[in-house]
Amino acid sequence: MASTALADLPRLRRAGAIGQTLVIVVALAAVSYALVFGLGRMGERIAVQMCVFVSAVVALGLFTGNSGIVSFGHSAFMALGAYTAGILSMPAMMQRTALAQLPDALKGWELSPWVALVPAAGIGLVAAGLSGLAIARLRGASATISTLGLLIIVHSVLIGAREITRGSQTFFGVPRVTTFEIALGAAVLFILAARLYRESRWGLMLRAVRDDEAAATALGINARAVKYGAWVLSGAMAAVAGALYGFMLGAFSPTTFYFGLMFSLVAMLIIGGMATVSGAVTGVVLVTLLQDGVRQLEGGGTVAGVELPAVFGLTTVALSAAILLVIWLRPDGLIGTREVRLPGHARLIALLLPRREQAPAAPMHAAKELTISRLTKHFAGLTAVDCADFQVPPGQVTGLIGPNGAGKSTVVNLITAQFLADEGSIRFGTDELRGRAAHAIAPLGLARTFQNLRLFGTLTVYENVLVAALAAGHAGRAASALALREIAALELSDAATTTAAALPYGARKRLEIARCLASGPSLILLDEPAAGMNPDETADLGERLKRLTAERGIGLLLIDHDLEFVNRLSSSIVVMNRGKVIASGTPEAIRQDPAVIEAYIGRGRARRVDDDAKTTDYAKEGAST
Amino acid sequence: MDYVIQQTVNALSLGGIYAMLALGLAIVFSIVRLINFAHGEIMTVGGYGVFAATVFGLPIPLAVASGVFAAVFAAVAMERVAFRAMRGASVVSLLITSFAISEILKVLFQNGISARPKPIQLPAALSGSYEVGAITVGVIPTISIVTTLLALLGLTLFLRRTETGMAMRAAAEDFEMLRLLGVRADRVVAAAFALSGLLAGIAAVMWTAQRGSVDPLMGFFPVLKAFIATVLGGLGSLSGAILGGFFVGAVEVFSQAFLPDSLSPYRDAIVLSTVIAVLLVRPDGLVPAVKVDRS
Repeated sequence: MASTALADLPRLRRAGAIGQTLVIVVALAAVSYALVFGLGRMGERIAVQMCVFVSAVVALGLFTGNSGIVSFGHSAFMALGAYTAGILSMPAMMQRTALAQLPDALKGWELSPWVALVPAAGIGLVAAGLSGLAIARLRGASATISTLGLLIIVHSVLIGAREITRGSQTFFGVPRVTTFEIALGAAVLFILAARLYRESRWGLMLRAVRDDEAAATALGINARAVKYGAWVLSGAMAAVAGALYGFMLGAFSPTTFYFGLMFSLVAMLIIGGMATVSGAVTGVVLVTLLQDGVRQLEGGGTVAGVELPAVFGLTTVALSAAILLVIWLRPDGLIGTREVRLPGHARLIALLLPRREQAPAAPMHAAKELTISRLTKHFAGLTAVDCADFQVPPGQVTGLIGPNGAGKSTVVNLITAQFLADEGSIRFGTDELRGRAAHAIAPLGLARTFQNLRLFGTLTVYENVLVAALAAGHAGRAASALALREIAALELSDAATTTAAALPYGARKRLEIARCLASGPSLILLDEPAAGMNPDETADLGERLKRLTAERGIGLLLIDHDLEFVNRLSSSIVVMNRGKVIASGTPEAIRQDPAVIEAYIGRGRARRVDDDAKTTDYAKEGAST
Repeated sequence: MDYVIQQTVNALSLGGIYAMLALGLAIVFSIVRLINFAHGEIMTVGGYGVFAATVFGLPIPLAVASGVFAAVFAAVAMERVAFRAMRGASVVSLLITSFAISEILKVLFQNGISARPKPIQLPAALSGSYEVGAITVGVIPTISIVTTLLALLGLTLFLRRTETGMAMRAAAEDFEMLRLLGVRADRVVAAAFALSGLLAGIAAVMWTAQRGSVDPLMGFFPVLKAFIATVLGGLGSLSGAILGGFFVGAVEVFSQAFLPDSLSPYRDAIVLSTVIAVLLVRPDGLVPAVKVDRS
């Protein structure tokens, strides 16, 4: 792809998103109108319910899809929204009969139902804000189970607060104002909101966290904060959807919003595919049609001359069977991990959008020295890093070598706060890094790569680099210009729209470096960049690194056990063995150092080594121990 | 004071049941990363096992054996039919699968047996109580506590002393490594499910003995609490699950016993909010699980 084509990339991407949203909105509208015109009043009832569920499932998908954490708590937010909006919009006359013991503060508001949506959203915001404090801290499965706890808590509060909710009895008198047009309009608005969020910086950062939390954190993304934001937004949206559901039903009880509803919501999302908005909508449409079809059979009757008994729970069984089939045959849901699109549309829409040019060549970065002193880390009896002292001067390539198990990667993990150091200090310029959170390291200008590649697998190459630029605090336009520059610099233009997981190995290595560069570092920690590559590829990578960092004045801390590779690039070298720094100096001095030779090839067999070729052999020998 | 002791007995008895359920969940989760939503239905099958035996007029020991056997069978069959084909699937896929199975089983119980509770007749001696000094203690809570302790003790011995037990503990930390060492994965997984079924079966017997009936949702609600207990203890941690179970049981019993009546409808909310408050301070649980991270 030429550089002009690369400049088209951001607008094509945005055009694609607009086209995909249009497709799904049009499809939903088409199915809804078909139901209304095809099946009359019954069709309208089904269509209204379908559209309300689209709102609810899209709200659920906003959190679950982007974070990868299944939530069982969203029907609780719906309940809170429905009761709040119901109480505040109920006619005063009705309220006196239905809720005789209502506290004065809640009495006689008689809000217009549309105004009542605001406090409904508010209560969703508060409930999600409180529960999110815990849920955003927990990892995957633990978070999911906690959302189940939330569901039970809200259910039991609704039953307990008899004066306000009539307890487990039916809550009635809610104005039935969710018409077909309103339900469809709300569904469309929810779809737009979810799409905007998904493509926004927060949505992109959350998806990066979902794919690889450690790598996202190393780019400066605060994983807990982005999860929390999505949870709160999605909870508030679910509460509004719940209010609309309440306005559709007119009468409901806490059980309406309990396990049955929760199961339906989750089933719809999983069947359609939780990673996309189009998946959420598809799931709702298909499951609604399936449920309404099966419900006809549930009461028994005669089909094609065969007498069928009434089976209680047939819809549940049908839904469960559908889930099992989908998970078995298509684990990512019917739509999969990419949004539904129509080919060709994107180019047309793109003509209306502005192009983005690559950012100009990078300026020289501020010169900050990294100083490690007395750094120590114990792992249950093993001292992985033992009182290590060394410096990484700014703007130069410093090598960090040592046999396997020497503590090199641990040092990197300590610098980037992946592990907490037991003693010592890590200063970068004038900043002390110890005591900082892992996501607070990158903003100081420190980037890293990982020993075994950590990319955001479901994001495209462009998005992988873009999210790094966004995380570094650049505004949307500047970030995409930066991303384009790094993609061009590492010759990834042809693969820019490929997902990272589909790239060949060499391209992945380059992508990880492009992502690093996009975060605008003044020092990059490269953890075994040459691992898994043949000598040609290694040499090529070395050249690129040297050129890029020299051009921009970026410092490198190069960690590897390939001595030749490190020697060729570095202006100074630090050698570690068994957690200790055993030597540091120029490559020539290191090559002569008896302690280094001993560490690499063992006591007694130490020989004087003069030429690089032999050293390489010893390095391999050392590396294989 | 007597009241406090009686409530402590109740707390231990309920907590023990939660602990057994949570431990079963944790054993399975730690090895195959499955949060088994259908664990409650395994317990319910155990309850129906007891019921079936009493319908045929079998003596109590046989009824107990029948309940435990039914649960073990249900657990092993579930693994064989539903989960073996899905080994290695994502945590979400496994979770949703078990969820769907749980729903299907509940509908089967409702249509195949009865949606209403089935009473279980127990000998009068069991429903009585005895006096220790000035304190009245129920027979069934006592048996329940003793059985729980024996079961947990037996399990600990099994996990520490037998080859299969050690293989299971190793699998909990690093299943891939264990497979590379040549241990048969199917056997370890089946053993894990059988153990979780055994514990659920014992829990079912205790539960039906105290409640005197069995219904399609019998196992569902206690297992929900057990889920919370596993997260509280540290998901995947076996000792954490036991601790979490007793903690949840204690909070539930004491909140019921000592909170004013006006708050009693909020009991579940209070129990779970307490757990969530603990998780705020210790997000990895009381006893964080050891897990090899191979990424």
